[in-house]
Amino acid sequence: MGSPATGDRILAHGIGGAKDLPIPLELAIAGAVAALVISFTVLAIAWRTPRYDAATSGRPAPEWLDRLTSSTPWRVWWRVFGMAALLYVGWAAVAGKDSLINPFLGVFYVYVWVAIVPLSVFFGPVWKAISPSRTINLLLARASGGDPSTGLYTYPARLGYWPAAVGLFAFVWLELVYPYSTQVGPVRLWCAAYLGIMLIGGALFGDRFFERADPFEVYSSLAAKLSIWGHRDGRLLVRSPLANLDSLVAAPGLVGVVSVLFGSTAFDSFKDSTPWVKFIQSTDLSVDLLDNLALLGFCVGVGLVLAAGTMATGVGEGVDRRTLPDVFAHSVVPIIVGYIVAHYLTYLVEYGQTTLTQLSDPMSRGDNLLGTADLTVNYWLSYHPTFLARLKVVAVVVGHVLGVIAAHDRAIRLLPAKHQLTGQLPLLFAMVGFTAGGLYLLFAA
Amino acid sequence: MTRTTPHARRRTSTLAVILVIGLGSLLAGCGEDAEPTDPATSSSATSSESSSESSSESTSETPSESESAAPAGQTIDITFDGDTVTPNGERVDATVGEPITLAVTADAPGEIHVHSTPEQELAYDAGTTELSLTIDQPGLVDVESHDLDMVIVQLEVR
Repeated sequence: MGSPATGDRILAHGIGGAKDLPIPLELAIAGAVAALVISFTVLAIAWRTPRYDAATSGRPAPEWLDRLTSSTPWRVWWRVFGMAALLYVGWAAVAGKDSLINPFLGVFYVYVWVAIVPLSVFFGPVWKAISPSRTINLLLARASGGDPSTGLYTYPARLGYWPAAVGLFAFVWLELVYPYSTQVGPVRLWCAAYLGIMLIGGALFGDRFFERADPFEVYSSLAAKLSIWGHRDGRLLVRSPLANLDSLVAAPGLVGVVSVLFGSTAFDSFKDSTPWVKFIQSTDLSVDLLDNLALLGFCVGVGLVLAAGTMATGVGEGVDRRTLPDVFAHSVVPIIVGYIVAHYLTYLVEYGQTTLTQLSDPMSRGDNLLGTADLTVNYWLSYHPTFLARLKVVAVVVGHVLGVIAAHDRAIRLLPAKHQLTGQLPLLFAMVGFTAGGLYLLFAA
Repeated sequence: MTRTTPHARRRTSTLAVILVIGLGSLLAGCGEDAEPTDPATSSSATSSESSSESSSESTSETPSESESAAPAGQTIDITFDGDTVTPNGERVDATVGEPITLAVTADAPGEIHVHSTPEQELAYDAGTTELSLTIDQPGLVDVESHDLDMVIVQLEVR
């Protein structure tokens, strides 16, 4: 089931079969109107004194849970799981056939890239717990008698999240623009380069490097800020997702990370829209060049809109206007997660199941190593497009509302009293624009 | 969270009520949408309509069921000429389970790749070829030319 007999042929776009139907126009409009109305409602009636404070928010998690999750066996188990998964999938990537049923592709594009988001929203920073680069760094440090958390140098604070933004762009470029993204060889090369850079960075800068520069860890840890799980003074906390989101510490480049995440997902919708397909197939210009420019344009465009939306406000003394895009970038995280749900849900559920069946046959020779080869894929979601369309719109609107509230709380904490309301307006318009634009793409693509 | 004043709490609950009402009405407003009809009902509806239409002119050489199925399906004309193909990435509405005929006119043999689930490949020769295609699952299905690396049509299958 679901194993396409495509042999070694190159496909014009990503893996897999049918894509989601466009959402109905009425639903897109209803969602955009709801986002607009709710935004201004929040602005008009929400609290006027900041509510979220990372130093006091949340309550301690149950004692046993704290003890379990900070225990050595628990941590070691997830490190072993991550390494075992790397070795198993690495075996498929190196020794398996270059075909679309090689589970390496599904694990990379679905489990690592998409499933990481819901897993992190439910369970916290999961990539940090299983990250093979962290584990290898840890083992190397142990072997050489060093400390994995400190490297040879201090990670330059000025770099912030920019390396992760570049890494994330390298991923979305591979997935969405690179023409051979579904061939095992190039994807394997990408992964090898990623792992190599992570290990060198880890040796140079220690664990700080993974926190700031590992694209998957940064993505996972951002999504984890929408979970109910937090940490303070070594104690596991339970707090509301909004309070948790507020505890995200801004650093240079955070705005770059969220711009790449949102811009690339929007580009993924856009590139399937009829006007773009028709244009790109009838122009004499290079298709690769146009795709590259469009992806870059979407990411940079989102970044510029965010920068303008956050900086167009009066600021008090001692606040540098140029830091505002990074300081408000956290409020885009729920918008990204809502849009990711809308964009990738079917892909995650259906291609995720297909990948599970493929995992039993890493060499593509009919094995059933894990006992999952004969599972049949459940296509319920695809057969209920109306339900799916509503779910998408609700996810986008909920993400938008959480984002607006997060930005509001940050604005009343940071901006001087006379700019607190007017200062929020440009960002609010930017967010309504993102949400309406996202809904339009779900309708048009 | 710990320093919530009664005033702030009232604002919060007002906000929560408005959010719930807003999202509720979003869902409810769309509640009147009919769920997509399942393939069985939709195809029988179309076929009964078309069979009554075609009954007057049709001959009795085929059984009525397959006779009505043929006019119910649609035909998409595809022309390959050198490096170009028409149509060029158009959207075409299609119905789950109903046959679609691709009427291909080509200057050279090639393959058409249908990105349905599961995927399908159809080969054609130079000259005119009629290819038949049925899609069993709703979705947006790209029909592509392998040789040109181009999207011919995108089927919106409902």
